[in-house]
Amino acid sequence: MAELSRQIGTVAPHDRTTSLTGPPSWKRFVPERWYAHVILWIACLLIGFPLLYAALVSTQNNAQVANFVLSPGSSFAENFQQVMVNRYLGEYMLNTISLAVVITIGKTILSLLSGLAFVYFRFPGKWIVFGFVLATLMMPTEILIIGLYRYVSGTLGWGGTFQALAVPFLASATGTFLFRQHFSNLPAELSEAAQMDGANPLQFLWRVLIPMSWNTIGALAVIQFVYSWNMYLWPQLIMQGGDFQVVQVGLRTLLAVDTSIAYGPLMLGAVIASIPPVIVFIILQKQFMSGFQITTDK
Amino acid sequence: MSRRSMLLAALTVIMALVALAPAMAQDKIQIPVWIAFTDSRLDWSRERAAEFNELFPQYEVTIEGYADYESIFAAASLAFEQGTQPAIVQYFEAATQDARDAGFEGNPQFKSVAEAFGDRTEVNGLPVNFDDFVDAARNYYTLDGSFTSFPWNTSSAIMFSNKTMLEAAGVEGIPATWAEVDAACEKIMAMENAPANCITWPNHGWFFEQAVAMQGADLVNNGNGREARATETFINSDAAVAYVSWWKDLQDKGYYIYTGAQRDWGGTYNAFVAGQVAMLLYSSSDTTALTNDGAAAGFDVVASFYPHNQDVEYAGNLIGGASLWLSNDLSTEVEDGALTFLLYFTNTENAASWHQFTGYVPITKSAIALLESEGWYEENPNSLVASDQLAAAIPSSATAGAIVGAFPAIRNHVTNAIEQVLVNGRDVTEALTEAKELADETLAEYNLLYAGE
Amino acid sequence: MLPPELIVLISIAAPALVGAAWLYRGSRTLSAGFIGVIAGGIGGALFMVPLNYCTFEADRTSTDVAFGVFLIALGAVIGIAVGAGVNRIVGSGKGISSLTSEQNTAGTFKGTVIPFALLAPTLVILALFLYAPALDNLRLSTLLARLGTDRTAFVCVDNFTKLLEPRQNYGQTLYATFLISFFTVIIGLAISLMIAYVAYQPVRGASIYRTLLIWPYAISPPVAGIIFGMVFNEGAGIMNHLIRSGGGVPVQWLQSASIAPWTIIAASVWKSMGFNILFYIAGLQNVPKDLIEAAAIDGANFVVRFRRVIIPMLSPITFFLIITNITYAFFETYGTIDFLTRGGPAGATSTMIYRIVDNGLNQRDLGSAAAQSLILFSLVIIITLIQFRTSGRRVTYGR
Repeated sequence: MAELSRQIGTVAPHDRTTSLTGPPSWKRFVPERWYAHVILWIACLLIGFPLLYAALVSTQNNAQVANFVLSPGSSFAENFQQVMVNRYLGEYMLNTISLAVVITIGKTILSLLSGLAFVYFRFPGKWIVFGFVLATLMMPTEILIIGLYRYVSGTLGWGGTFQALAVPFLASATGTFLFRQHFSNLPAELSEAAQMDGANPLQFLWRVLIPMSWNTIGALAVIQFVYSWNMYLWPQLIMQGGDFQVVQVGLRTLLAVDTSIAYGPLMLGAVIASIPPVIVFIILQKQFMSGFQITTDK
Repeated sequence: MSRRSMLLAALTVIMALVALAPAMAQDKIQIPVWIAFTDSRLDWSRERAAEFNELFPQYEVTIEGYADYESIFAAASLAFEQGTQPAIVQYFEAATQDARDAGFEGNPQFKSVAEAFGDRTEVNGLPVNFDDFVDAARNYYTLDGSFTSFPWNTSSAIMFSNKTMLEAAGVEGIPATWAEVDAACEKIMAMENAPANCITWPNHGWFFEQAVAMQGADLVNNGNGREARATETFINSDAAVAYVSWWKDLQDKGYYIYTGAQRDWGGTYNAFVAGQVAMLLYSSSDTTALTNDGAAAGFDVVASFYPHNQDVEYAGNLIGGASLWLSNDLSTEVEDGALTFLLYFTNTENAASWHQFTGYVPITKSAIALLESEGWYEENPNSLVASDQLAAAIPSSATAGAIVGAFPAIRNHVTNAIEQVLVNGRDVTEALTEAKELADETLAEYNLLYAGE
Repeated sequence: MLPPELIVLISIAAPALVGAAWLYRGSRTLSAGFIGVIAGGIGGALFMVPLNYCTFEADRTSTDVAFGVFLIALGAVIGIAVGAGVNRIVGSGKGISSLTSEQNTAGTFKGTVIPFALLAPTLVILALFLYAPALDNLRLSTLLARLGTDRTAFVCVDNFTKLLEPRQNYGQTLYATFLISFFTVIIGLAISLMIAYVAYQPVRGASIYRTLLIWPYAISPPVAGIIFGMVFNEGAGIMNHLIRSGGGVPVQWLQSASIAPWTIIAASVWKSMGFNILFYIAGLQNVPKDLIEAAAIDGANFVVRFRRVIIPMLSPITFFLIITNITYAFFETYGTIDFLTRGGPAGATSTMIYRIVDNGLNQRDLGSAAAQSLILFSLVIIITLIQFRTSGRRVTYGR
């Protein structure tokens, strides 16, 4: 979380300081086309190789894995049954989807509200409040994991519940600053006009800001969806015996599926567990980048 | 705006989901059970639970699997703090003292099963008969005169040999002592198509404890913690140094292969099945699977006693495995359901079937009788080894096994030290002495907090 | 040992004097000196009062005493730094009011209740789930506390000073952390830049290439660990199979203490590459083409062009990526390590975060885990401060 918020400060202004001049004289600087294609092909293959290999293994049984059979194996259906049904990965996936959606929507709403407050209001103590939020950039959840665990589990008694997974992540400096940055780049006339129309702040947010913020919302959504889908350490601690285990922790139960390590089901689990975030990311990659105002689309 | 109404619709659905999730109606008495298996043993247990749920429709036993003993131990402690503890949880033998001590002021985590059964002779029509348990398990889990936890999967550390490979190398019989293992390995590694290495076993504290006990040495003071609360460990005893030195020597000669991770059951198992080693020290818990997997891979697997130090009189082995602990604060109906399940889970047929399926020793005498009457042992001689080995132990504090607080953490100090020796080439005595100091410190902290000493 | 009263006096008076001198030297006003006295004095007592000066008790070792002195100094630095900030605001003439309001901005709504109402959910969650745990962590680090019991004992700074003992191998933990972090960042950025340099050019199917290059961003660290565990599995993995088919000796990717960290690095680089490539592509598209053109006309060859034009133009992005990658390497690698090596062999891949969880959960030593958390915390603060100092002017946290 913290990592991404930093970029908002550093990178967002970048495109305003650079200017593209004239039509680029591409041809002179592009390497030979075939050359670029070859390099890109190799790069794509190298990056894709571990996942392709995992997908291959996910169709095999241990004997096929050990013999390095390079064609799809015979155990896909069996592995699938093991992973999705016997080891509940399907259920974990559904749990994780609802968790990721709740965090994504909740955080987007809270971030919109706090962004609105920071940009369109003057109030006493604003900079103290701002500093209060800013300082949390230095506090990734992981650092405080022992304290957070004791607090949520002990003081609140939320151990093993859905809210223990969701509520601590509903607010963050990341989202707040993302919208703050975005709003303060919008023309001030917008809010002046809205005030003249007699709109209250929430109406202004609903009618004017949100329609102008879909890229930013999309960027935050993809960050948060991927982040919450990939949560591992926190649910590993707090989700004991609840009915709501998440998929990343659920993968642990695939480490021994038959009598010892069964590579096929483990790889299948890893591949299946990666499909939703990868799809979300690929679909929203344009929003992801433009949310950071870094692409050159003018 | 359609986007906005979509957003609203999505929100509504989410809120409904969140509201509904915990409110799923449950009219049966829920009995959650946690066990430390995620492999076919979990499936076996779930089948038994399903049968139980059919036999006793008022109950619903649900079984959740954890990756290993260490993680279920941590998970149950966290769950206890969180108030989400299951009715029954499976703890390994090393957690015994921690489990007895665990609890917040005035609220212990577990209840002694003997106390829970009281003097009942049956629960829901299932007979209660503690006398039926085999001696090794009875002795280990009887503390202060009664059963604190319910024995279930009891094993011993034994050796598995690739008989086909041993014969090809001209090794006669199965090595029984450290020196014989050395000699066999020399022959095996001299073969033309020698395996990559000769022997492996997991770097798990349990194998260390077995080797120490077999030489008649205690692991901790105060009668191995059975006379009074243990306050000092003997991790750097002569027996311990002798064992780790032998181990290191095997590695130096290229006989032993370290799979690189502590408690690596899967990696060592796979190495043996893949024919990368000729011998494997392992838990008897996987006797059936190892025998079958070996046969499938085209070699004979022979189980035998854990090799002992030929320079010291053989004192015998101790048990391993785990037992089932009953949560303390259960309502009467849940507790009765849990007790009923414990009885059903370990009844004669299930105890025999569990043994056949895995290799854990049959936990009751009646199960042994049943297996004998079916001729099981004649067909599966490997399955008898663990029971025989436990029966061969000479009763003593050493072979009864250590009872000590923070045992899992102490084991960690031991396996860390062994790893220092195997991976970084540290001196055996030095590493074990340091581990002893660290372990004593951990134990002192533990005793300070739990026993106020 | 000195009498306790004297220690208290010194621990407050010395920082107060330093503070006064420091601030007075800067602005030469009495009020600055006064602020310095207060700030230094409070700073000196900042850590020591909660600890009740326990490090200076008679039976404490010299390490504890030294650590106590360090804490006083640290508190003093924090206090004086805050004092300097206050002094700057007071001295700038705007007075305290500048702390609480800002200049008139066009287009603001009226009201003070509404903004707080809008901010309330965020502030409450941050307070409850970040600040409160941080304070609890601070307290816990001075206690002997184990999982499974609610009894604790005050142990002063033992949880910290213990880590200095050689047998705790904390040096190895730091080394593993820096090794893995450093090379994950360096290798990751170098490869990403090279790939991005090819991928940003307008070749046919560029967007498909891009998608195929950046998707690992969405892969989770645990999954990266699982998959690389397969690829680099000693017996059944494809890497060793290829090596064996080529007649080589199989490599102990995960079993050797000197190689295992590199396997972790490989998995981490792979997982973080998508993100890096994405940002480098975007950054390269922002490099003005006339600059490259000018360099080309000057006759600069490719390498020179790359060094003189591309790299400097990308430095803001590189800087940003370094920070995000360090954070990633510090924390997110936990999941990868947990599935690949579990911190082994012999602690060679046990990074700070991994050890915190291992000590707290598996060894059940909550006090030590909390202390280690604070050490990691201070590292993150230092990195953040470096970031603010070096790029602070460019970062637009203002309007």
